[in-house]
Amino acid sequence: MVDTSQQLFDLWKKQFEDGAQAWARVLSESPAAAAPPDPAAFWRPVIEQWVQGWARVFAQAPISPDATSQWKQFLDQSIDAWSRALGQAMNTDAFAQMLGRYLDQWLVAYGPAKKASDQSLETALQTFNIPSRAQVTAVARQIVELDERVERLEEGVNALLRRLDEVGRGLGSPPVAAGPRSQPRERA
Amino acid sequence: MAQWEEEIERNFRRMKNLAGMIMDPREPRTGQTPRQEIHRKNKSRLYRYESLRTFRTPVMFVPNLGISRPYIFDLLPGSSFIEHMTRQGFDFYLLDWGVFGPEDNGLTVEDCVTKILPRMADKVLESSGARELSVLGYCMGAPLSAAFIAAYPEVPVRSFTNMAGPIDFSKVGLFGLWLDKKYFNVDRFVDTLGAIPADMVKAGFKLLKPTMDLSTNLNLWWNLWNDKYVEGFSALNRWANEYVAFPGEFFRQWVRDFYQDNKLYRGELRLGGRPVRLSAIRCPVFVVGASEDYIAPPACVRALVDAVSSRDKEYVELPGGHISLIAGRGAAMHCWPKVSGWLAPRSD
Repeated sequence: MVDTSQQLFDLWKKQFEDGAQAWARVLSESPAAAAPPDPAAFWRPVIEQWVQGWARVFAQAPISPDATSQWKQFLDQSIDAWSRALGQAMNTDAFAQMLGRYLDQWLVAYGPAKKASDQSLETALQTFNIPSRAQVTAVARQIVELDERVERLEEGVNALLRRLDEVGRGLGSPPVAAGPRSQPRERA
Repeated sequence: MAQWEEEIERNFRRMKNLAGMIMDPREPRTGQTPRQEIHRKNKSRLYRYESLRTFRTPVMFVPNLGISRPYIFDLLPGSSFIEHMTRQGFDFYLLDWGVFGPEDNGLTVEDCVTKILPRMADKVLESSGARELSVLGYCMGAPLSAAFIAAYPEVPVRSFTNMAGPIDFSKVGLFGLWLDKKYFNVDRFVDTLGAIPADMVKAGFKLLKPTMDLSTNLNLWWNLWNDKYVEGFSALNRWANEYVAFPGEFFRQWVRDFYQDNKLYRGELRLGGRPVRLSAIRCPVFVVGASEDYIAPPACVRALVDAVSSRDKEYVELPGGHISLIAGRGAAMHCWPKVSGWLAPRSD
């Protein structure tokens, strides 16, 4: 059973890898030169291989739990083959160009739509005297800047305190503590 | 017959666990290693983890900014990199960059390297009372840390470990090709979107490995009978689907200077008016690559070894991918002991 299944898996693996490679070649070709895609034609050979393979397994060997692990192995190998093939197809200039073009087109459509939607939302919020997203963001940004300034001040104060410590040590007086800004907090 | 019985029992358990996942989905308790918040700067937090502190030199761990949350490093008790490091006796600090909002769109790579990292390093030294610190960078955290160490030679860095962090972006694989200047207009992208939304980040990573969800779900079904696997899967799956947005200006500088111009590796990067040359790194360097990493392929990670001036430097390539290098059973077997084993003699 195991030997027969193994032979069949090897056969399947080869068939899948061949099919996947063929697909990789098709995908990596220039999109302009390719005919309109036919999704049914894409899946047909795969499904046919699948059905034929399983028919052979059931015809040649009795069913046992081992078949389940063989099936898993088969699926793993198929997914792996497809993953490699897709990886190869996507690792081409043609794919990168296609992706770039798609993103550009999407941005061309999305940009004005987003702008219009933001503007209308802002107008509506103003009508109801509710702060807009941009206004809330501006306040948050000011808080971030304030935090940055406080931090710089703290650094300056700590540097001064350290200097004072050094001077104090030279004069023989007790040190001034230059502690951290915040005490460690237990996590929430 | 016994095989059949086992298979039937497994199928029963599969159905039971599947029903449990659907009817009673439990939020996995991630990040259980006790910690204290030491410092915060805007969204960034510096955490110190409880440990025996056998080693004097503290470790500052710098993960990726954006993309995902850092609880992957402290996923579950028994499968946590942070727990491993603290048990080994390292005084461990984690920099959590945080989740960014539209108010952070002005944050740049330069801000991270010249404002956040130096301050966090100061805080690590201040809180630990140590004279030196070790820096450990993972993924995007590694090039950011490398830039920081190279630009600030006065910061007392005892050692630097790069875990799956891209350095030579000419060898970075699919992302490198897709983000090439010829095909990707980063300015138009950032100017239109402002920030890079989490969904967009997710789409990019899903496209990188389109069969990933299929194989993940297949493996889940196969191991669904195993309660321990299901627990780990739930935690990892939650993390894997929780993406974090990029601040717009950070993304612009990251893509342009690192992916498109490869300025870090070429030594052409300047941050905060300081030159960033990897050759300025002289501390011991340890580089860990993952053989099946498609986000940061081993060649682009390994490049750090040749770029630094350190005498004590080592590269290891471990089995697994970008995530399995740091999380999961394989990581516990291969990566974590290697990292802690290399750091231990360099942490006194």
